[in-house]
Amino acid sequence: MAVRLSLASTWRAARPSKEMLPHTMTDPPPNRELIEMLALSRSQKLPQGGEDTQILELLVQRDREFQELMRVAQEQGKVHQEMQVLEKEVEKRDCDIQQLQKQLKEAEHILATAVYQAKEKLKSIDKARKGSISSEEIIKYAHRISASNAVCAPLNWVPGDPRRPYPTDLEMRSGMLGHMSNLPTNGVNGHLPGDALAAGRLPDVLTPQYPWQSSDVSVGMLPPHHGNDFGLEPPGHNKENEDDVEAMSTDSSSSSSDSD
Amino acid sequence: MLCYSNLFCVSNFTEEQARNRFQSELEFIQCLANPNYLNFLAQRGYLREKPFVNYLKYLLYWKEPEYAKFLKYPHCLHMLELLQYEHFRKELVNAQCAKFIDEQQLLHWQHYSRKRTRLQQALAEQQQQQQLPHGNATAK
Repeated sequence: MAVRLSLASTWRAARPSKEMLPHTMTDPPPNRELIEMLALSRSQKLPQGGEDTQILELLVQRDREFQELMRVAQEQGKVHQEMQVLEKEVEKRDCDIQQLQKQLKEAEHILATAVYQAKEKLKSIDKARKGSISSEEIIKYAHRISASNAVCAPLNWVPGDPRRPYPTDLEMRSGMLGHMSNLPTNGVNGHLPGDALAAGRLPDVLTPQYPWQSSDVSVGMLPPHHGNDFGLEPPGHNKENEDDVEAMSTDSSSSSSDSD
Repeated sequence: MLCYSNLFCVSNFTEEQARNRFQSELEFIQCLANPNYLNFLAQRGYLREKPFVNYLKYLLYWKEPEYAKFLKYPHCLHMLELLQYEHFRKELVNAQCAKFIDEQQLLHWQHYSRKRTRLQQALAEQQQQQQLPHGNATAK
């Protein structure tokens, strides 16, 4: 009875395996029950031997496939491991590159600052060189403008004193311009009438030619070249001035070197 | 002298004329230091004329050291700079404005001498104070 039952069960189980054939071809590994069932059917030598062999062959094939898959999986695992190692290497290299990049940026920044400061220094050196005047000349000029009380009032100056930090009415009229044009004497032009009366006392340094006209000092000195017509907008006249002034400066510098 | 004649051979100025021009420009620019004269120019409308304004701009060459060293009244350079501005030129028509400038100019002119007298006073006081301890020492 038990054997009949087990036979019946195996026969019934074998049936579904037949149905499962197409499934086993595609499905994941066959379950334990099927294998046990096959083992049983084999031991019991059922007439369904042909189908069993088919199933067995399928199983073997499946096993082979699985073995193949396992091998491939192992290889893939190895490759994956290698990839991970390489990725770590790549990360490390990336870090190194970033570090180098930071250092490069820092260095560039420092160098740019240094270059900029050097350029500024050169500019200021140039500027200083352009504006260099011998100290003797400066002292001479300072003496000239101070001794004549042109920039600093005389210590005994009181209101009513005709001396001024600018050329007075009298001085203006006795100059070249004054002689060129016949200007009518006018209280408005120059001092206020009160001062003009006070200016009846002539200043001590009155000479026919005032030092502020300085024709003797300026021998050889000429104004920059310019046309007579100031009615037009002078577009390039500044350049002309520069050219002439440059010519003057070379000459004056040579003369100053002579005086040194 | 030769270089100058070469420089000006292209112009129609003779050397004599150029020298005269220098002289007259030197005198004129220094006259600009006189606020009363500026008021005079403004009231007669010179400061409104475009050629005159251009001339004032041209005169800025006197700021260069090679030319500035001939100026006896350096205040004129400051006045020249101010004259470049239209607002200043317009204001100069008022006599009050010119008077104010004159007063301030005189005060500034006296500033250095006042400062100097103050310095001298301070120096004298300092010397007096220094002498006192010596006086005490000799007394002891």
